[in-house]
Amino acid sequence: MIELRGIHKIYQKKDTEIHALEGVDLRIEKGDIFGVIGYSGAGKSTLVRLVNYLEEPTEGSVIVDGAHLADQPPSALRQIKKQIGMIFQHFNLLESKTIYKNVAMPLILAKKSKKEIHARVSELLAFVGLADKAMNYPSELSGGQKQRVGIARALASNPKILLCDEATSALDPQTTQSILDLLQRVNKEYGITIMLITHEMSVIQKICNKVAVMEEGKIIEEGSVLDVFGHPKHPTSRNFVQTVVRTDVPSQIQEQLKQQGVHALTKLEMVGEHATQPILATLIQRFGLTVSAVFTNMTEIQDTTLAIWYLDIEGKEEDKANALAYLEAQGVRIEEVSI
Amino acid sequence: MFNPAVTLQEFLGEIINTNVTLQEFLEEIVNTLYMVGMSLLIGTIFGSILGVVIVVTRRGGILAVPFVYFILNFLINIVRSVPFIILMVAMIPFTRSIVGTSIGTNAAIVPLIIFITPFIARLVENSLLEVGPGIIEAAESMGATPFQIIWYFILPEAFGSLILSLATATISLIGASAMAGVVGGGGIGNIAIIYGYQRYDTFAMFATIFILIIIVQLIQSTGNTVARLIRRR
Repeated sequence: MIELRGIHKIYQKKDTEIHALEGVDLRIEKGDIFGVIGYSGAGKSTLVRLVNYLEEPTEGSVIVDGAHLADQPPSALRQIKKQIGMIFQHFNLLESKTIYKNVAMPLILAKKSKKEIHARVSELLAFVGLADKAMNYPSELSGGQKQRVGIARALASNPKILLCDEATSALDPQTTQSILDLLQRVNKEYGITIMLITHEMSVIQKICNKVAVMEEGKIIEEGSVLDVFGHPKHPTSRNFVQTVVRTDVPSQIQEQLKQQGVHALTKLEMVGEHATQPILATLIQRFGLTVSAVFTNMTEIQDTTLAIWYLDIEGKEEDKANALAYLEAQGVRIEEVSI
Repeated sequence: MFNPAVTLQEFLGEIINTNVTLQEFLEEIVNTLYMVGMSLLIGTIFGSILGVVIVVTRRGGILAVPFVYFILNFLINIVRSVPFIILMVAMIPFTRSIVGTSIGTNAAIVPLIIFITPFIARLVENSLLEVGPGIIEAAESMGATPFQIIWYFILPEAFGSLILSLATATISLIGASAMAGVVGGGGIGNIAIIYGYQRYDTFAMFATIFILIIIVQLIQSTGNTVARLIRRR
């Protein structure tokens, strides 16, 4: 649906060049909710603006739904933009127009009939739960309501793709949750592919199925959300994951273990139904091992459970090896960790 | 000037003693409104177009043509550098070639238009630049054409501010139109000059000032009210 190939973006500022993106490749499939996370200045805002050509790449190509954007004449590019909705951190609503007019704007630009506009706007306002606010002005709405208007407006022209530029960063946690629920409905009910950028890992955790982590203009890690949350490879990804899921043993517990003479732990990572298997009982009863769970964490991601267990396993080496082989065969990811 | 020996009755008598007739006074008010109205109308049309053009053609604008911007910007600055009273006198040959005379109300309208157009262009420019880049970005993301961006996004968002700019321009025009009286331009300024200044008619002078104050207050408060209604903030 969206493909970025070998993207470089360089801004000329007086005498200096700012390399905002340095060789980015990205593929977003139809139906994805694809999250891009990074600290401010990582280049994610530039990245999302490439998809609807608000920014043009210095080098590389952007392909949306089969069309190379660089080859399009201005009028064709405007038609493609109508297929791509966008919502913004600060909503960017027209303060001088009613909610109704704001949502109707893409249809007015497309010169649709009054009747058609009325039907579509009423449907969308009902979808986002603001049917009673049609004649209000944006200044009379809360932040969450404004973002709902933004979403309704972005959907007006029946787009295939929705771009979200830090869409929840100006909202409180509760409102964020309701906007994320709405985005999930947009994805499911309308089948719209969503690309969102954020600096909050909790946003990725709640609705994305895939994630790319950006740093200094590059994508440093990419994959399914479960994979990246379960075993982030890059230190920056690990930092982001840590903000919502503890995947390592707290230092205080590590200190206590060292005093008890424990220097190695076995880390188990289980996803979905594996997370609810009677692992401890199996290890103890079937393999005759002494097992203590030092630290565990279970998190819900994308309607499945990610469980991380740190075990201190004692017993015969042979039994332990058999036990771990058995668990691996059950789909449990195993890692020996020294502390 | 101030003589304490004069009694209050004598003092008041001296002030009210005037040679201006009410009819003359009303006629000149009408002349002022005519001059201001005409030059405001034409100046607003040209000034708004000019203002929009210098906003969209500037570097980073939605139809960036920096060369056009540079030329227009330069021209606006040139006209704005000349005080109205000098502009008016310097333009006499030009005015005469257009209107056929350099005296009278119609003749005053020509320099007033030349004076107010670049001023309105600057005010419009300021108002339009107040519209945040986010609004324009949203418009572009919807696939709006440059004309649609101006017509459906920038102008409506700037409308309240444009009304205030218009009030400022009108008040400025009233001041300039009064100056037109110096070179026989007619209007209320004429009364202040001919009666108030040249004939020491204190009443005529203060009556003129009083009327000007009333008109300016009316325009400003109307502008404020309309702008507030439009802005909805």
